[in-house]
Amino acid sequence: MVKRRIISVCMIMTLAASMLAGCGGSKEKDAGNTTTDSTQTKDNGTAANTSDSKDNKPGGIDTSEKVELQFYMLGDAPKDLPIIQEEINKLATADLNATVKFNFTTWTDWEQKYKLLLSSGQPIDLIFTADWTQYQSYAKKGAFLPLDDLLPKAAPKLNEFVPKDMWEGVKVDKKIYTVPATWKEYVNEGIAYREDLRKKYNLPKPESIETLEQYLDGIRKNEPNMLPLADNQGYQTDAILQLTTKIINSSGNIPYGQIMMYDTPRDITSYWGSPKHLEDLKMYKRWADKGYWPKNVLNVKDSAHDVFASGKAAAVLGGENPNRFNDSVIKIKSTHPDWELGYFPYPNAKGFASPVHPIHNGFAIPRSSKHPERALAFYEKLVTDKKYNWLTQYGIEGKNFEVEDGKYYKMIGDSQSSGFPREGMQSWAWRNPEFMLFDKSFDSVLAMFKEFDKVARPEIFQGFPEDWTPYQAEKAAVLQVEKQYLYPLNVGLVSDVEGGLKLFMEKAKQAGLDKIQAEYKKQWLKYMDDIGK
Amino acid sequence: MLKKRGFFYELNKNKVMFLMLLPTVIFFLINSYFPMVGIYYAFTSYDFAGGLFGSPFVGLDNFKFLYQSGALWKLTINTIGYNVVFIILGNVLAIAIAILISEIRGKLFKKFSQSIMFLPYFMSFVLLSVLAYNMFNFESGFFNQVLKSLGIAPVDIYNTPWVWPILITVFYIWKNLGYSMIIYLAAIMGISDEYYEAAKIDGANIMQRIWHITVPMLKPTFVILLLFALGSIMKGQFDLFYQLVGNNGLLFDVTDIIDTYVYRSLKVNFDIGMATAAGLYQSLFGFVLIMSVNYIIKKINEDYALF
Repeated sequence: MVKRRIISVCMIMTLAASMLAGCGGSKEKDAGNTTTDSTQTKDNGTAANTSDSKDNKPGGIDTSEKVELQFYMLGDAPKDLPIIQEEINKLATADLNATVKFNFTTWTDWEQKYKLLLSSGQPIDLIFTADWTQYQSYAKKGAFLPLDDLLPKAAPKLNEFVPKDMWEGVKVDKKIYTVPATWKEYVNEGIAYREDLRKKYNLPKPESIETLEQYLDGIRKNEPNMLPLADNQGYQTDAILQLTTKIINSSGNIPYGQIMMYDTPRDITSYWGSPKHLEDLKMYKRWADKGYWPKNVLNVKDSAHDVFASGKAAAVLGGENPNRFNDSVIKIKSTHPDWELGYFPYPNAKGFASPVHPIHNGFAIPRSSKHPERALAFYEKLVTDKKYNWLTQYGIEGKNFEVEDGKYYKMIGDSQSSGFPREGMQSWAWRNPEFMLFDKSFDSVLAMFKEFDKVARPEIFQGFPEDWTPYQAEKAAVLQVEKQYLYPLNVGLVSDVEGGLKLFMEKAKQAGLDKIQAEYKKQWLKYMDDIGK
Repeated sequence: MLKKRGFFYELNKNKVMFLMLLPTVIFFLINSYFPMVGIYYAFTSYDFAGGLFGSPFVGLDNFKFLYQSGALWKLTINTIGYNVVFIILGNVLAIAIAILISEIRGKLFKKFSQSIMFLPYFMSFVLLSVLAYNMFNFESGFFNQVLKSLGIAPVDIYNTPWVWPILITVFYIWKNLGYSMIIYLAAIMGISDEYYEAAKIDGANIMQRIWHITVPMLKPTFVILLLFALGSIMKGQFDLFYQLVGNNGLLFDVTDIIDTYVYRSLKVNFDIGMATAAGLYQSLFGFVLIMSVNYIIKKINEDYALF
């Protein structure tokens, strides 16, 4: 009896303990909000100082010691990565006495992983940067090594290859922290819609608010089982601004509900609470009442792109840039050959297009790097050496791809079976326009780019290095208020729009919106001075 | 002085015992005590070059985002409210079901019902959210389809805040009941049969046996589980709330807990200082609570206290 009791008590304790352990485990991964995060960042300071290398011959770097470089990219690794890595390492060992390990974060929780990679002090030699990975903010906080002195020494060719104005463009506090991609690309968005249905029901092309609404109404009437709009979570709001104003940026929104027009960039005003905002919100309410999206759209988790591409919706307003739209076209051609897709890029409504800012794709050397010179030299090879470049962009010729008609890229197999699809390593940052190969189907995108080139005006918004330290707490608080009070308005769930907007503005002001906007404006005007606008 | 000699005397006397304790002590030192240095992050504005002690000290600035929008009070109330309901309802139901199961004599049925109740524990909250959406969404949800077929006007559940505290509690109990039930079942199995036999001979019926033997014998287990649960009362079930409610701002007033709030705040601009501040607030609250409840229990009955 006594034995039995002991056993059962042990069992209770184990079960109870494992229950707690279970909770603890899931907590750590879910939000990155526990103190455990901070523990992993402890030994950062020590790793930071090892970067300065010793005696270097001028015009070259010391490659006597064999090193392994740690290379980090976001997203998923292609299946054939080990083979590619082996090939690259053969070349790199001969050229630089170095090998490289390609690491990928996968897209799940990449934001958290990215932060941890940079703050944990683990040695990393090359890491992807972009405006959407908060390049400028990390650079300001000292996460990357300045490259100004390293470049001429370790990568003279690369230094020459990237145009001067691009080097200028990526500077943060007058220092270069990342190597920008040089291919001129447009990522402005547009309306993707079903051309076949439009023709079938004789609807107008959706090229303005009026025609868009007519098109969606027509779909609602004739295809009652189809959703008119695929956008969920209220993300159509950015797109509507692109369609109806000459807003300065080419995708996404300007933070904290502000707005400035391309022609008068210094004139920064609040969009939130403005008459136009009220008008737009009333329109969303009308759209919601007409059933353009499901009532519980805030709880829908499917991505708008997928909903549209699967044929459940007749149009998508946000997120479809030319490249992505082209993907949808190719995908749908194979699954539903009878469908036809139409596209209306927002630059056509705005009257100008802006190619991406140099910071949009790049690679930086984190402070924790043990071999910054070798890393930069290797990156130079990746960009300027055709062998390296093709291997990492398209895979092995004859195995993963072949060159068709002397200039087109042709994948061997299809995207499911291929071990290394085109740009399978998310190799956007080291694209080299001189070596680039495109699929035949990409001709339409290139044609679109050519059209944009005619009305191109330089991107001036993305380069703005916002420093939110002075209003960090307010930023977080306003974000909350936005989610709680503005999102329901964006998808037309609040019956009294005017009252709802008033409540939102009240709450936002309480959370410190005025302070943020004032400080943001100050920084923005300073940036305008800096770039001479 | 006297005490110190006493300690060394003890150390010498129980050398082997202390040696056996050592791995555990080291484990907790490394995993729980050394990392506590990181609490300091809550008071700094982190920068990569400075690291932990090189970053500038900013005092309580990092805590500001918690009360800036006036949400802290609401969040604390929500978090504690949900947890209190979870703890009380979860334990009471678990005890009740455990007693029922233990009284079932048919072995097959016993195992079957045990397994059925245990299964939801292995279901992920992501699946649960899909399930909930397909059950309750306005246009094609199962619930509204049934209402429609009965000729009743459909209800927009996702726009009706007051049902959510009930729904969330139901989902939580449904998912966790099987697990806590097994803990109590194990405790019941540990009660000596002699008590029951003696009671039977004295003429106690089954209800009396449960009420006067089983329930009192479960009290220590209940107290231990309660104390454990209280320590993390400020830590909400993040997955549950985040998956079920997501970005639906209409429901935030009644469903927002500290964890979801912090997640939303810091998802976009992650800041180690602010994240640590939020974690520190939660832990400190739990620490104070567990110390005081343990103190009260100790006053009432020293045997039941955790330490």
